[in-house]
Amino acid sequence: MAHPPPDSNGYNGVEPTADRPPGTPRWVKVFGIIAIVVVLLFVAMLVIGGEHGPGRHTPSGDAGGKVAPSSVMEASAQSEGGRG
Amino acid sequence: MIMTGGLRKVALAAHITLSVGWIGAVAGYIALDVAAATSQDAQTLRAAYLGMELIAWYVIVPLAFASLLTGLIMSLGTKWGLFRHYWVLISLLLTIIATVVLLVETQTINYFADIAADPRTSDDDLRALGNTLVHSVGGTVVLLVIVVLNVYKPRGMTRYGWRKQHVKKPDPEHKE
Repeated sequence: MAHPPPDSNGYNGVEPTADRPPGTPRWVKVFGIIAIVVVLLFVAMLVIGGEHGPGRHTPSGDAGGKVAPSSVMEASAQSEGGRG
Repeated sequence: MIMTGGLRKVALAAHITLSVGWIGAVAGYIALDVAAATSQDAQTLRAAYLGMELIAWYVIVPLAFASLLTGLIMSLGTKWGLFRHYWVLISLLLTIIATVVLLVETQTINYFADIAADPRTSDDDLRALGNTLVHSVGGTVVLLVIVVLNVYKPRGMTRYGWRKQHVKKPDPEHKE
């Protein structure tokens, strides 16, 4: 008897039997392809764009996000200068 | 251990509430994120960044962990199992990825909130601070995919699930 055709859930049509494990459903393969594309896009963005994460928002690219913006740095420098 | 009917319903109600609550919390976060991305008003920007930090730490992160935990309980305490069906396995992986990205993103959110809370930060620096829209919108898409998987439960048993099923149900011809 021929295998039943793929159903609307994207099942691959290969029904599992006692001695044959089920095949990977089509929708899982589609998910896998999408996941690979997303990972590749992420890697491409890292290569082209450089910094990713909090560091990209900081003036010096500090990964920990510890660097304050210029206005805060200037205010700090002025207050320190005023003390001396 | 398979949960009884009453306990299973309580766990399911908790899981649905926490998971959908996670999506709702992210929706509220996105509203502030959009304000951070588009507003030119310094007060709005300060309020948005501070609100983003509060929502992230006190609503989104707890809901993410609670959703992950109740999801584990639901899968291990029902016939579905954790590794037996592709839709459960993929939902678990996506939830873990979403939670890890969220935790990494909290560093950026903390940085924004610290700068916004500092009265010495100029209006221009506030406007140049940036936003987390790519992550918050991307995270919402991932969460919606998980919801669709959980509602439709597309067919597909893993090899592990198939082996488990056949260990539990021996061939009746071999019975004496």
